[in-house]
Amino acid sequence: MPEPLNFDIAIIGGGIAGVSIARELSQYNVNVVVIDMHDDIGLESTSTNHNLVCQGGDSLSFRPGTLHAELNIKSIPLWPKLAEELNFPLKRIGGLWLIRDKADFKRYLRLYSRAFKSSLEPNAPYYIPEGSFQPLEFVDRKRLLDMEPYIMPNALGALHDPNLCITDPVKVAKALAENAKANGVEFLLKQEVTKIERQGITYSIYTKQGLIVKSIFVINASGIGVDRIAEMIGARNFSIVPLKGTLTDFDEEVGKLISHEVHVLPRMEDLPHVKAVLPNIYGLARSGIYLELTYRSDKAVHEEAVNHNIKVAKELFPEIPFERHVVKSFTGFMAYTNADTGWHDFVVDIPDYVPNWINIVLGPAGVSASPMLGKKVIELLMQSGLRLEPKRNFDPRARRGVLS
Amino acid sequence: MSAPRFLTLDIARKMIDAMIRYAQDNKVLPGSFAVVDEGGHVIAAERRDNGLSATFDIAIDKAWTAATMKTSARVLEVITRGQGWRLNVKYNGRLTIIPGSVPVISGNRVIGGIGHSGGSAEEDEAIAQAGLSAFYREDHIDFIGEDRLRSLRKVADAVINHVMEKKLHPVVITIVDEWGWPVLIYRMDGASYGYLEVSRDRAWTAAAFKLPSDEVPNYTGTEHGSEWNERLNTSAGGVPFRLQGLLFAIGIAGNKPQEDKEIAISVLKSIGVELPV
Repeated sequence: MPEPLNFDIAIIGGGIAGVSIARELSQYNVNVVVIDMHDDIGLESTSTNHNLVCQGGDSLSFRPGTLHAELNIKSIPLWPKLAEELNFPLKRIGGLWLIRDKADFKRYLRLYSRAFKSSLEPNAPYYIPEGSFQPLEFVDRKRLLDMEPYIMPNALGALHDPNLCITDPVKVAKALAENAKANGVEFLLKQEVTKIERQGITYSIYTKQGLIVKSIFVINASGIGVDRIAEMIGARNFSIVPLKGTLTDFDEEVGKLISHEVHVLPRMEDLPHVKAVLPNIYGLARSGIYLELTYRSDKAVHEEAVNHNIKVAKELFPEIPFERHVVKSFTGFMAYTNADTGWHDFVVDIPDYVPNWINIVLGPAGVSASPMLGKKVIELLMQSGLRLEPKRNFDPRARRGVLS
Repeated sequence: MSAPRFLTLDIARKMIDAMIRYAQDNKVLPGSFAVVDEGGHVIAAERRDNGLSATFDIAIDKAWTAATMKTSARVLEVITRGQGWRLNVKYNGRLTIIPGSVPVISGNRVIGGIGHSGGSAEEDEAIAQAGLSAFYREDHIDFIGEDRLRSLRKVADAVINHVMEKKLHPVVITIVDEWGWPVLIYRMDGASYGYLEVSRDRAWTAAAFKLPSDEVPNYTGTEHGSEWNERLNTSAGGVPFRLQGLLFAIGIAGNKPQEDKEIAISVLKSIGVELPV
């Protein structure tokens, strides 16, 4: 039996959620460890998404009152500071929601007033101070053509969200992890959790590779495997279904022709797929998302999905020959809650019958919400009795490799 | 491997196992679980030990509502603005717009429904969602305890094995408790849904009279039910039995009545279950 390693807080999962929490906790005098099954940070859902952050416009469609809306909107002002501290690429591109007819316009008007109510009015629940959030605006066809010269001819105008940014989530996750490490957080990589036990107030986490980690608090941020980890200790008080998304990348030649995230509201016949085209931080263009519910081992890229993505790109930008510039397509999984109603929400919660255990489910728009997630978790930990004293020598910019 | 595009008895049972586990983990009062096909007809339904009798049909009706309205009761509540009960002018109360009713979605299509009854609205909904979640899990999630349900499952499994071995028509199996309330209904893949009520009626008749269903007319002189006896079905296929000191009855339907009865009796004998005289 190997000697157990003792910590105050164990975070299972080294994706964007786990490392955001680790970095936030590294500002306090606690003993934290991050356990991940892979040999590097952010190799699952963190690396396979559309790379959007600051989803203010998207938050329009998030139901007010949900954690999904709260964490996303509150994260918007945090991103530029984080990028400056940790020196990862962040580019403000803005999003355009195309208006094709009165039905689109009516829907956007409704969303616009909802967004205003939830974040821009001074007494709104997620009020964002002026300066860190730019209000959304409607633009007419003339301005739309100035912004996107190759846009589809039947777009009458658009709802413009100037806040939307693109980044490289893997770089963000690595930067957060390296900063956390420099501030004292331990990383145990290539450790697959197989069994968890609780004696009194101590959790013992056993890994396939033979380690035993003992910890008072456990944060289950294991992404798409979150339900399996929670089941090990009877702490599953949520349900997820794996939502597989396929995205397609196109080369720089078409990437340079697009400067905003552009998307249209899905109609009945388009459901459940998302119709969006955007540039990525390395100058490629990206389109998708073809969505399907399936087993999480089903990672194959299907021809149908790629054709859908090319069709979407062609629909939004008919003059650009996307089909000749395909670079690659890839799939990723989102942990989707409330799949029956479609009202996805995040889970950041302590189960009723398992103390000192926090389940984290992010899913769609998870990267975007990650800066606020750390703060939310700290709040929960403090509520459940953990004393957190700020560390005097916390350095927000320091970096140290996590692979050692 | 991609997820299945249709429901089978095995998948439905896997979903119920996961739901029972979820209910146990979250300490929800024992209730009933139902998985139905696209048309709202039961594939598998089960009641936990000490689950309230009335929850069984509520769970089935919730699953029926999800499958036939192709949406979750939570959504129906919102889009009918709480007035959905008015639709029951048509369905005599069957339309159950109460949370705990979740459609099974696969390949952008509704292929069935899940219902749970026994907890609060939120708990019922969370459990039904756990069933949907299990549909998309490759692994099997097992539960602990539930001894009575487990031993009745063994009876049902023995019937399924017997039918497969003898190459008979697939059957519907209903096991009811002493009071005629079902604990378990399984519809084998390929058994027509018409046999569902036949099997349940035979089981009810056998439990209510503590006699094999076809022998009931010899004592009562009637073949027609009335009032609360409307489930009376005097065709062969319902057999009462004793297990762990408690009375149950099994109703089998899917073949000719006498064949169904023979399946029941030979299976019960082979697994050493006591048949009342």
